[in-house]
Amino acid sequence: MKRAEYKIPGGKLLVAETEVKDGVLITVKVTGDFFMHPEEAINDLEEALRGIQVSKIDETVEAFFGEKEITLFGISEKDFAHVLKLTLES
Amino acid sequence: MTETWRLIDMRIEDAPTQMSIDEAIALARPKGETPNTVRLYRWNPSAVSIGYFQSVEKEVNLEACEEKGVDVIRRITGGGAVYHDYNGEITYSLVAPEKDPRIPRDILASYELICGAIIRGLEELGVDCEFKPVNDIVAGDKKISGNAQTRRHGVVLQHGTVLVDSDIKTMFQVLRVSDAKISDKLIQAVEERVTNIRRYLGREVPFKEARDALVKGFEETFDVVLEPGELTEREEGLVRELHEKYSSKEWVFQR
Repeated sequence: MKRAEYKIPGGKLLVAETEVKDGVLITVKVTGDFFMHPEEAINDLEEALRGIQVSKIDETVEAFFGEKEITLFGISEKDFAHVLKLTLES
Repeated sequence: MTETWRLIDMRIEDAPTQMSIDEAIALARPKGETPNTVRLYRWNPSAVSIGYFQSVEKEVNLEACEEKGVDVIRRITGGGAVYHDYNGEITYSLVAPEKDPRIPRDILASYELICGAIIRGLEELGVDCEFKPVNDIVAGDKKISGNAQTRRHGVVLQHGTVLVDSDIKTMFQVLRVSDAKISDKLIQAVEERVTNIRRYLGREVPFKEARDALVKGFEETFDVVLEPGELTEREEGLVRELHEKYSSKEWVFQR
């Protein structure tokens, strides 16, 4: 399990934990003090990311938020992709 | 004529009940069975509430909570961890339809407006404070109130903490501020970033005085009269149903 933290300047903290096997995301968990409505969508986001190639993080996150009516506050969708990719470097 | 909103006034309940009441009011509101509602309340026993997306193990010192008899609960709203000190904290909540002409559609603007009611209340007590985006109120650069909002089923629910005389030392024993071992020096620095009404004013402020000021803050900000009322039977029924969720390990430990 790899972990990364990303503190948005002047704002919220995003923490990601991932497990990668053969270039595929096996486990994905995102926590932090941000806001997202509806809140349960975080589970759908994690589900959408499970089983994808790590090279597809950006497009998967973008497609997820493009399809659904989700409001983010204190963070942007790019921040999710950013913190997930940070775990790959750790 | 000035509109009347319901005030659920200073109910003292445990953590699962308080969170169930906020959600029950938000669930009942779209059906039009209830008016807009403001609650002021206290938590007994004292409790830590964490944001919906937070990791309980990372944010809370569970051993310290156990030792001190402090409850731990996950909120329905995002945001950060809060220590609700029975002897030193008032929580508020506000439930209104998103379509209410007083509530800005823009989320930041709505935080600023609702926090404005708390700021007016604090100013009434003599605390000079201001909104600090995205969801805090600070007095002289120190946090005195944190706030969290959700929107669902066309309803805005915002709740937040007002630190009256919170034990700031205990606050940082039950909350984990950052990774593992923190030096005493750093704990001091963290403690210096938070204040409360008593500390700011240098005098005791009874709950009644703080409550009256907050009621006035809401009334003036929204140009309404807050009339003390009770939960409806349907809301009380929802509270009983939701209580099970909020007190379950599955809910609290889901992240």
